[in-house]
Amino acid sequence: MNIDIKGIVIICGNYGSGKTETAVNLAIKRKRDGIDVKIADLDLVNPYFRTREARVLLESLGVKVILPDRQYMHADLPILAPAVAGMIQQPSELTILDAGGDDVGVTVLAALENHLSKKKVHMLQVVNPFRPFTEDVKGCIRIKEEIEASSKIKITGLVGNANLIDETLPEHIYKGYDLLKDLSLATGLRIEFITACSNIIPQLDPGYFSCPVLEIERKMNPPWKRLSSKGVLIHGV
Amino acid sequence: MAKVLMKGNEAIGEAAIRAGCKNYFAYPITPQSEVAEYLAKRLPEVSGVFLQGESEVAVGYMIFGAAGCGERVMTTSSSPGISLMSEALSYIAAAQCPAVFVNIMRGGPGLGGILPSQADYFQATKGGGHGDYHLLVFAPDGVQEAVEMTMNAFTLAEKYRGPVMILGDGMIGQMMEPVEFPDNLKSEPSNKDDWATSGMDTRKSNKRNLVRSLFLDPTELNNNNLALKAKYARMKKEEILYEGYNTDGNYKVLIVSYGTMSRVCKTSIDMMKEEGIEIGLLRPRTLFPFPEEAVFKAATKESCKAVISIEMSMGQMVEDVERCVRGQRKVDFYGECGGDIPTPEKIIEVIKELI
Repeated sequence: MNIDIKGIVIICGNYGSGKTETAVNLAIKRKRDGIDVKIADLDLVNPYFRTREARVLLESLGVKVILPDRQYMHADLPILAPAVAGMIQQPSELTILDAGGDDVGVTVLAALENHLSKKKVHMLQVVNPFRPFTEDVKGCIRIKEEIEASSKIKITGLVGNANLIDETLPEHIYKGYDLLKDLSLATGLRIEFITACSNIIPQLDPGYFSCPVLEIERKMNPPWKRLSSKGVLIHGV
Repeated sequence: MAKVLMKGNEAIGEAAIRAGCKNYFAYPITPQSEVAEYLAKRLPEVSGVFLQGESEVAVGYMIFGAAGCGERVMTTSSSPGISLMSEALSYIAAAQCPAVFVNIMRGGPGLGGILPSQADYFQATKGGGHGDYHLLVFAPDGVQEAVEMTMNAFTLAEKYRGPVMILGDGMIGQMMEPVEFPDNLKSEPSNKDDWATSGMDTRKSNKRNLVRSLFLDPTELNNNNLALKAKYARMKKEEILYEGYNTDGNYKVLIVSYGTMSRVCKTSIDMMKEEGIEIGLLRPRTLFPFPEEAVFKAATKESCKAVISIEMSMGQMVEDVERCVRGQRKVDFYGECGGDIPTPEKIIEVIKELI
């Protein structure tokens, strides 16, 4: 099973569900598959750990990155780059919009409604059941409804991002997948893919999942951690 | 309880709930606003109240009011907001009321920036407000420790009847780590009937309580200051916390560093160890009371030739380090204070220049 998603993809979800890590790794994977990829940082609510932190890497791989002007990079102001509307009008083969967390974080999408309503978009909800407020189906549905009300866009698919960062074990990924299956059943939404760090993937039973697995090489790391190319923590406590 | 993945700010909010705090007043400011967001959702579930003040000045006095009634109460803010609360902090200390203040520091002075900083060390440990008072100051280095310290802060605020501060840089509030919550704090038998203005009908004694910071009689004022001084002396005996890292062996240089900065230092120490260079770290976990004797002992170990204070400031804690080393070793300083956290490689470069 391969991830073959194309078109306009909006990554949303509750605060801290791992949207940016998912968006950045999806962009890298699809670029490596050989398609044109653009990514825009629409996270206007989170002050640290945003797509902009991975700008240099993404650009070196040939992914076009749309960010606020450099002078506003470290502002906590709701700045929407005008180029975002342009990238929706003239999308690449894959155009990723990395939205902010919760209903507040996707309010910006309502401002783009004129542009988005004319296009078919994939609106993917990222779920990490180890985060507060999304530990069960009820919590995930509440977040889904809040996001849909605020963004004026219906969620079209689910992404499982179960993890405890360096302390993630295969059992966490399985547990996350089980919850996602229940959520899929309750909402009728398709599971687009789940994620797992490169170092966990060899330990997983691929037969457990009936969806693709996106390999995550963590890009959003605090400055004291040093990871190997396989994502194993070498230094940093 | 199984581990969950939480931002420091959220975890501090949850820790307050588990410590039995049902009163939270705050005003939003980056990079700590998630505490308010989290508690706005969570407090109603435990019949608690989050009330946003019209400014941090107002919040400071809302805290004073609740604390004076003997209620467990907390506020969270970031540097400029704490400056605005500093007058109330001085009043709360003088009136001897327990309260928990959290400062998730951002760059300063002035509005500065929203990235992490440790430039409020002086403000937290040497005053902020006016008069002879101190805060008991905890400095967590991660989300788990932020939880434990926040819960402990409520216990110690009541033990000492005074304000306790959690001092974290922006990274402590913003980063996510797996965290496990200890058991809920048990309510200790309280002596608040003796001092809190909790309402005559709620307590057994008929004594009228008065919460105040105005003492016009010079003897009375002096006595209040002596009472505060005695509390700070007791804190110095009973509450000092610190951690040594790679301090068992023969290190050439001792780093003193706290919070997020100390984690970068630990990475540099591990990397230098692989090159055969031994460096030790002493991490104060309480900044007031400061681990004076521990710093002196670690600095004067025979193998140790130099001491360096590494901070995300332009040189604040270094003054305490110098004081504790008492001239026995050369004390250096390295710091950055724009918001970019120095990398382990940069710290290695700095240390190598020393040896």
